[in-house]
Amino acid sequence: MDKVLEVKDLELKFVTRRGVFHALNGVNLELYKGEVLGVAGESGSGKSTLMLAIGGLLPSNAWVTRGEIVYMSKNIIQELVKEGDTKYVKKRNEKALKKLNEKLQSIRGSKISTVFQDPMTALNPVLQVGYQIAEAVYYHNPSVLARRILARYKATKDDMREILSILKNKEDYNEKLLKFIKGKNLEGLEEQVLFIWERNDLHDIKKEKLILSLAGEKVPRTALPFLYKIARSNKLERTPILSRFIKRILIKEGYRKAVEILSILKVPNPEKVVYMYPHELSGGMRQRVAIAIGLINNPEIVLLDEPTTALDVTVQAQVLDLVRSIRNKYSSSFIFVSHDLSVLYEVSDRIAIMYAGKVVEVGSKDEIVSKPLHPYTQSLLRAVPSIESEKISPIPGEVPDLRNLPKGCMFHPRCPYAMDICKNQEPPMYNLENGHKVACFLYGEKK
Amino acid sequence: MMIAGYNITKQYVSGGMFSTNKAVVKAVQGVNIKIKEKETVGLVGESGSGKTTLARLLIGLEEVTEGTILFNISDGELNEYEEALKKGDEGVIKRIEGMYDITKIPRSRLRKLRRYMSIVFQDPYSSLDPRMTVIDIIKEPMIATGYLSGEEANKRVLELLEKVGLPKWFAYRYPHELSGGQRQRVAIARALSTNPKFIALDEPTSALDVSTQAQILNLLKSLQRDEGLSYLLITHNISVASYLSDRMYVMYAGKLVEVGEREQVIKNPKHPYTIVLMSAVPKLGKIMQRVPVKGEPPNLVNLPTGCHFHPRCPYAFEYCGWNAVEVAEDLKYLLEGKYYDIGGEKIKVDVLSELKIRVEGLGYQDLEKIIKNEIEAVMSFKSIDSIKKESENAVSIELKEYITPKLYQLDDGRLVSCLLYDEKFINRK
Amino acid sequence: MIELERNSELKNSLKIFFTNPTAVVGFIIFIIYVIDALIVQFAPWLLGIKNPNVLQENFVNPIPLPPSAQHPLGTTYPGIDLLKAIEAAIRIDLAFSLIIVLGGAAIGATLGIISGYIGGLLDDVLMRITDIFFAIPFLVLAIAVGFALGRTYESMIIALIIVWWPLYARYARAQTLSIKRTPFIDAARIAGVRDFKIMIRHILPNVLPPIFIQISLDLGSVMVIFSTLAFIGLIPNASLPELGYLTSLGLNYLQSAPWAVIFPGLAITLFALAVNLMGDGLRDVIDPRRRSS
Repeated sequence: MDKVLEVKDLELKFVTRRGVFHALNGVNLELYKGEVLGVAGESGSGKSTLMLAIGGLLPSNAWVTRGEIVYMSKNIIQELVKEGDTKYVKKRNEKALKKLNEKLQSIRGSKISTVFQDPMTALNPVLQVGYQIAEAVYYHNPSVLARRILARYKATKDDMREILSILKNKEDYNEKLLKFIKGKNLEGLEEQVLFIWERNDLHDIKKEKLILSLAGEKVPRTALPFLYKIARSNKLERTPILSRFIKRILIKEGYRKAVEILSILKVPNPEKVVYMYPHELSGGMRQRVAIAIGLINNPEIVLLDEPTTALDVTVQAQVLDLVRSIRNKYSSSFIFVSHDLSVLYEVSDRIAIMYAGKVVEVGSKDEIVSKPLHPYTQSLLRAVPSIESEKISPIPGEVPDLRNLPKGCMFHPRCPYAMDICKNQEPPMYNLENGHKVACFLYGEKK
Repeated sequence: MMIAGYNITKQYVSGGMFSTNKAVVKAVQGVNIKIKEKETVGLVGESGSGKTTLARLLIGLEEVTEGTILFNISDGELNEYEEALKKGDEGVIKRIEGMYDITKIPRSRLRKLRRYMSIVFQDPYSSLDPRMTVIDIIKEPMIATGYLSGEEANKRVLELLEKVGLPKWFAYRYPHELSGGQRQRVAIARALSTNPKFIALDEPTSALDVSTQAQILNLLKSLQRDEGLSYLLITHNISVASYLSDRMYVMYAGKLVEVGEREQVIKNPKHPYTIVLMSAVPKLGKIMQRVPVKGEPPNLVNLPTGCHFHPRCPYAFEYCGWNAVEVAEDLKYLLEGKYYDIGGEKIKVDVLSELKIRVEGLGYQDLEKIIKNEIEAVMSFKSIDSIKKESENAVSIELKEYITPKLYQLDDGRLVSCLLYDEKFINRK
Repeated sequence: MIELERNSELKNSLKIFFTNPTAVVGFIIFIIYVIDALIVQFAPWLLGIKNPNVLQENFVNPIPLPPSAQHPLGTTYPGIDLLKAIEAAIRIDLAFSLIIVLGGAAIGATLGIISGYIGGLLDDVLMRITDIFFAIPFLVLAIAVGFALGRTYESMIIALIIVWWPLYARYARAQTLSIKRTPFIDAARIAGVRDFKIMIRHILPNVLPPIFIQISLDLGSVMVIFSTLAFIGLIPNASLPELGYLTSLGLNYLQSAPWAVIFPGLAITLFALAVNLMGDGLRDVIDPRRRSS
């Protein structure tokens, strides 16, 4: 399987007035194409910080002292780490982060997107949700919007009738449709056609009517050349007044795309929802909007940070079912962060366990749950109350203070199996069978 | 009996004295609840269920709109009271309420009762006054109720710190110097300070990490054993409820839907909502076949008619609460979508009353066909009683009158608020 | 170990305050004013002032003189040495501002806390009353009260307290409302603590810090307003040293002796500025500290 993202030995500290917090202490993680990777951990484990780092959203006091995040064969945090750097210089760090931000503009939001925990704060309360989804496409992939409009502009009613006959043929219409559209230079039309055709709440006659109506869209003559330019270059128009005019056209198109994606996310009445504001929607709906924004640019990696924690149990169930069903539609890879292992079991393929800024165990979800190897993972599983269990055993001690981490293995003060070596050396990650990895000296001898 | 609540109802009217747009929020409706001594009652529900409001009413933090809450009453007198309720014996009712009903006794007496009840809140960060030291926080209830004061109070604080597993020198720290788990222990120590008999636990571990949660849950369990306490545990986390509760009360949209022993309610739920709830909980190691449910918990100002759960219930049938607005909406959706060819936008659907609809532009036969085809998928159509041809162009639809479910008692002692368990409909299951 | 922790809290906050350069500047200027007021109060002879409550007029040489060795800030009509006059006036203005602000804050905060905590009809009524007060421009109100009570310094002080308390009432009420909702208040109520005690023990200490900041900021505003009222001649008493009055004395000589207007005016403005900077610094100390813990 292809590796889509690799985090190598990432070390990150937060410099604050109250001390230096060692948030990430040598994180190693791999994400493969098309998988859902669950990341579990409690507070202080560094899971949220890791998401910020990958998503390019680090605050100005984040000091990266070691490591790489490799995406598309490039280390995307190269600017932040200087060889032999031992002192934190505020201005230098801020400058490096600023440079990093600029570099990541093209990646963040389009190739790597993030969905946060609380949709109420992640969404802008004064903008319609349709606008916010449209904006996400407008800023990263305006060519998609431009092409859609141009495709409708160029298409004739005859074209649409031919398309309808392809669709009605039932076998293999996907391929034939694409071939036809490519032949006629109508890229951008296929997703609009398929969206209508694959709806199950419309009568066939209405579908035909809608598809026919796609043809011959009226586009203001002055806008045309700019739309063509944008469709080709995927860059926004910058000239002052004109750009507003073009933006309005493209955003309107974005609303249409928003309706499509909300429908896929099983939002009822998406045509009405796009004109609503976040506070008019319930928690589950808002989270779907946030997920829509995260998915709409077909990113390679979607980071989800506790997306269901703030939701009711029944709503959480709906969202989890949704995530499971759409992963097949999108070829993206997902990283799903949660403190709730049972939630991760539902959605993930593999699960990584983090503790005090390190990944301590990683493996397939079944292996982790039925054959946990790391003492922390074992304690964690025993401490979770479930409907079945009669007894829960808490983990003795407390999560370590990130300003003052223990020497050697971070978990050794609380570990029932701690050995002498654990107090002095940090265990490396041992590769066991089935892709199961553990960072614990207990597994050192076996090779 | 620690607490016996009858017909507890709480409504909020939003808007102050000068506002014109007042909405009535029905937070809790007609709840009966009993909490015995030394037992843990788990009160579960999602947002809008009313569980937090109910807890606040039971502990006297807010005033009921209606209802009786008897606190710390002997079993004998409770029986007397219930007999008097059945017979309508005003004298006995007034006497007993005068002694035990926290909604009716004078405030001075209520304050004395405060000694026996306390609460632990969800958020350890905001449930402690940031400007008070730990020792002052724990002492406050003792001093306010006159239980202990001065040196004796200070000594007891040290005892309590030990009981909850905190070192003695924490006494002079401030809340912001402690971790979440430590703060929650302080909150528990405070709750124990006056030697209460009853503690309300409002999501006591929801804001804590897994490992801390386990510690606190075990602490609560052992304290109950050692001190002989009654707990009312309010939570949306079924696993936590399952770990601590003896009996469970499940609430939805302000009403009780199921009441029973923990094993029964969790392993063998009977109310459709409870079934949906239990199946929605993610379980480690299993990917369950979920009982599907659509939609979200309702808005408490505009509650569904009849059974509040009926719009989402996978087992709803014709009497569950469907009204004309719901049927009309479903019909309109079909006419604009799947059945577009029959007339499309030209058809008008009007709601005439709660149970009557008038359709213009659609023929009788066509309407009959639609209903017949869709009745399995569209649940609201099940409530259609009859369709009549009014004129050339118009058809009227009349719905069956819905029944609001009561709490029905099952053979195993449970209470379920679902028409499926009403004797009239027993055969529907 | 416990003692150490608590002291470092104070040290931490002092550190935060003193690393803010503008706040420190403001603080220094403020302290200078305070020291001046104290000296004038207790040892006026140190500054060469015989009677701090009376302006030393000199009709022999009434025309305003430019700054010189004898009169470092010059003189104003009629022959009053500006340096000594300003030094004396600072004490008066500072005292008056303090009385007004503290008076308004005390009344307003008390009413605001009670109203916010008890709610209901009392709260609605208080809100409408404060609305009425807010609707009237303060100058108009001050003048009206002034005329009703007689145009003296005392009545102006009362007028300004009346103008000022609604602000604090609103502010304290808003704070109270947000604190009222917190669980620790509920916990106190369940513990059996009486309402009155809750207001004093729990609400007041949590309401005070932001009010304290507001007080420090208002000192500047009130001084400006008070001296404005004196400047426009609302107070007829001619000989009390007061910055606004001093400024008005030089008005007729604006062209020929601008220092007579500039210096007293500057004394007012500088104080307002200093107090503002200091208040901002205080806000940095109190607010983000809470957030980071």
